[in-house]
Amino acid sequence: MNAASKQQSIEDALLKSKKFRLFGLNADDIIKHFFAGNATIAIVVLALITVFLFREGIEFFPKHYESLRLYRWAGMEFVDYLKHESTDLSALNRMTNLMKRQESEVLRMKGLSQAQIAERLAPLDAFAAKFSEVPDGLNGLVADLTEIPVGILDRHKMCVNAQSHKTLLIRMGKIAEANAVKVDVIDFGKETAILKTFLPQCTEIHAKIKQDIVGLMSAIPDFESAEARATSLLFKKLALKFTDGIPVTEKKMAEWNPGEPIHFYRALTDFIFGSRWVTQSFWYDFYGVVPLFVGSFMISLLAMILAVPFGVGAAIYVNQMASKCEQNMIKPYIEFISAIPSVVLGFFGIAILGESVRWLTQQSCLSWVPFFPISERLNIFTAGCLLALMAVPTIFSLAEDAINNVPKAYKEASLALGANKLQTVVRIIVPTALSGIVAAVLLGFGRVIGETMVVLLVAGNRISIPDFTAGIGVFFQPAHTMTGLIAQEMGEVVRGSLQYRALFMVGILLFFISLFINYMAQKIVTKYRISAG
Amino acid sequence: MNPFAKQPNKADTAQSVWFIIFRMMTYFVLLCGAVVFFDIFYKGGKVIFKAEPPFVNTTFLTEFPETLHVFDNPVTGRKCEMGEKEFQRFKLSLKEKGDALQSATYVYSAGGIFPCIVGTVLLVLGSMTIALVLGVMAAIYLSEYSKHGPFIQWVRLAISNLAGVPSIVFGLFGFGMFVIFMNWNVSLLSGWFTLAFMVLPIVITASEESLRAVPKGFREGSLALGATKWQTIYKNVLPYALPGMLTSSILSIARVAGETAPIMFTAAYVVRDELPWEGLKNTGDFFFQGVQALPYHIYVVSSKIPQNEYTQRVQYGTAFVFLFIVIAIAMASIFLRAKLRAKYRW
Repeated sequence: MNAASKQQSIEDALLKSKKFRLFGLNADDIIKHFFAGNATIAIVVLALITVFLFREGIEFFPKHYESLRLYRWAGMEFVDYLKHESTDLSALNRMTNLMKRQESEVLRMKGLSQAQIAERLAPLDAFAAKFSEVPDGLNGLVADLTEIPVGILDRHKMCVNAQSHKTLLIRMGKIAEANAVKVDVIDFGKETAILKTFLPQCTEIHAKIKQDIVGLMSAIPDFESAEARATSLLFKKLALKFTDGIPVTEKKMAEWNPGEPIHFYRALTDFIFGSRWVTQSFWYDFYGVVPLFVGSFMISLLAMILAVPFGVGAAIYVNQMASKCEQNMIKPYIEFISAIPSVVLGFFGIAILGESVRWLTQQSCLSWVPFFPISERLNIFTAGCLLALMAVPTIFSLAEDAINNVPKAYKEASLALGANKLQTVVRIIVPTALSGIVAAVLLGFGRVIGETMVVLLVAGNRISIPDFTAGIGVFFQPAHTMTGLIAQEMGEVVRGSLQYRALFMVGILLFFISLFINYMAQKIVTKYRISAG
Repeated sequence: MNPFAKQPNKADTAQSVWFIIFRMMTYFVLLCGAVVFFDIFYKGGKVIFKAEPPFVNTTFLTEFPETLHVFDNPVTGRKCEMGEKEFQRFKLSLKEKGDALQSATYVYSAGGIFPCIVGTVLLVLGSMTIALVLGVMAAIYLSEYSKHGPFIQWVRLAISNLAGVPSIVFGLFGFGMFVIFMNWNVSLLSGWFTLAFMVLPIVITASEESLRAVPKGFREGSLALGATKWQTIYKNVLPYALPGMLTSSILSIARVAGETAPIMFTAAYVVRDELPWEGLKNTGDFFFQGVQALPYHIYVVSSKIPQNEYTQRVQYGTAFVFLFIVIAIAMASIFLRAKLRAKYRW
């Protein structure tokens, strides 16, 4: 063996290790790229979520726009002016009944017999009877007019179907057959012209309604009960508002023009600010997210009002005041509470909580509370209570972490200066941990607003904006939420329909709300973090 | 009177009053939780357990859901409850008298919840496999290999934000992507991926946290001794990070098992009278079977069918089994954490 080859073998041994190589990569590189690939998959997946939500949701806008245009073209908008009046009048009618109930309640309390009550209520009865006749003419007209846009829309639908049939035939190459398919074009302007011919009749009816209402206003009898008097005042106010509104409506109807263009942004604004969510109706489907948003928001608000004091209070107690033994017991226990699946809590709400809350409000010792007894078993309150129980563990553990992170020196310094434990907690520890506590509350809010099963089971599922005139009683009304609505309607919806897209839009809205809350929480934590220096 | 005794002052009185208030608040929360646990376990226990051997209501745990028939037994003259199959057999045994037999029926109130248990177990197994493989590997990459830069920072932000996205949004996503776009329909596979993606952010964040908790010196020492990067990770980082990963992953199992919203339109059937592995033409079809699941079953029996004493039994029984499973998982994770925390201290 000569020197050169010896040199070579030494070089081989030292420099060229006989390690496994693939595409010039050694095992370590391959492992690294494998992990990187996994990370990429995970990240791509997370990006896909956004993509797919938008992919299904974005088509909501053109479809919604189309539906809004048809709403105007077919004259539904015109008829809805009158329909609104009709609903307003029936609301007024319901108020006369309410007055009757309130008055008779007071009279019964006074110990009057049934006959005496009836005698006292006779003028009110007469008034109510007369008032209930007021909207008759209007209701008749509305019933007549409703037929017209529905008919126009039906014919429009037929035309669209014929058109799509024709295009299909052409695509299949059956030109002759395609030419045989007759496609009408609906001239909406001409079709809806007939609506305008009802205007004089409308004015007549309006004049009569106004005359009736003004005439009846003086006929409202006097009341014994303060409640009924308050209702009658409100009634008068609303009735006057109604009569004042008549010229405005008339002007709107006279100026109504089916050809007037609708801006494209209405597809978005009507979704975000629309106050009605009505689907699968024979008339027109409204997709306004406000009632759902208000429902979600009110339930979460109530849950937070209940959960924040308890969550933060428990965190302070466990971290600062409790003995070691208590700590060791309470912390895992609260973790168990957070592990209760939401559907089980919802079931508990249906089976136990709703019924017991209603039973409680029916007790005579609580009858002084203005809105007791409550009529609905499942309402915002029951949902809020259960969600509070879900939010408490989240708030507790995060707030406890935040309090735990307060440097020990702060506490010791405060105690050394003679402050007692409570003063230290209130003046030193809580202010120092405040950013963490606020973040905990925000994340708890995020968890609550995104919760589905509890609200679906317990919130009562009535899609309407709660009646805020009821004061605190508003929390005892049923509501519907964004999450609950998606869960409820998604199963029955036709794929690709406007409603389907609308549900995805609600999902996108939820997505953004939760992102915003999370982002805020992180910002607060990082911005106001107190260093231990 | 002792002049040196502590004088009562306002601050101390306030302190003791507030301590009591805080303590009561804490115990009120615990009480609320206890009420829920007690109600479910007490009423559910009456369905699951019975006085005579084998002490467990095996029918409920091993049978399919059936319609309950309640009728006046013409033979004994007493009120009688029977499941669908038993009722038909009984009707036949009565011969012509049986044709006139009228019964009140209650759906899903007889039989058991076996397919729901099977479905939940399958969903959890599949989705956790996917989530753990993807999540742990991604965490290893993010914590050990990636260079710190704005992009990785941004990725972290995205992941932690996604952890807070409502589960129903994941359900919508799964529906849009797997059920419709991939055309997997309502199936195990759709459910697995939807649930896996739902817990993925949680698994990644938690795993990364426990990887970072391993002191830097462990890695440096190993690298200084000539080990490669992978050897370092494999021998000196993963073993110490494993407990943290394990507890977090067990907690996410509890979350996966407990969620209803994501599987509502991706994997769960209201009722299915076959187990997912029965009646398959070829084995691959197994992945495209829809299943019944415990949480969805609770939702169905507690809101979609009329409430009465007969349906209440199946409701409480299902809730008991479900809560028991979830709590057992959570308890396992908490005990494991306590044990492992004591073992690894640095």
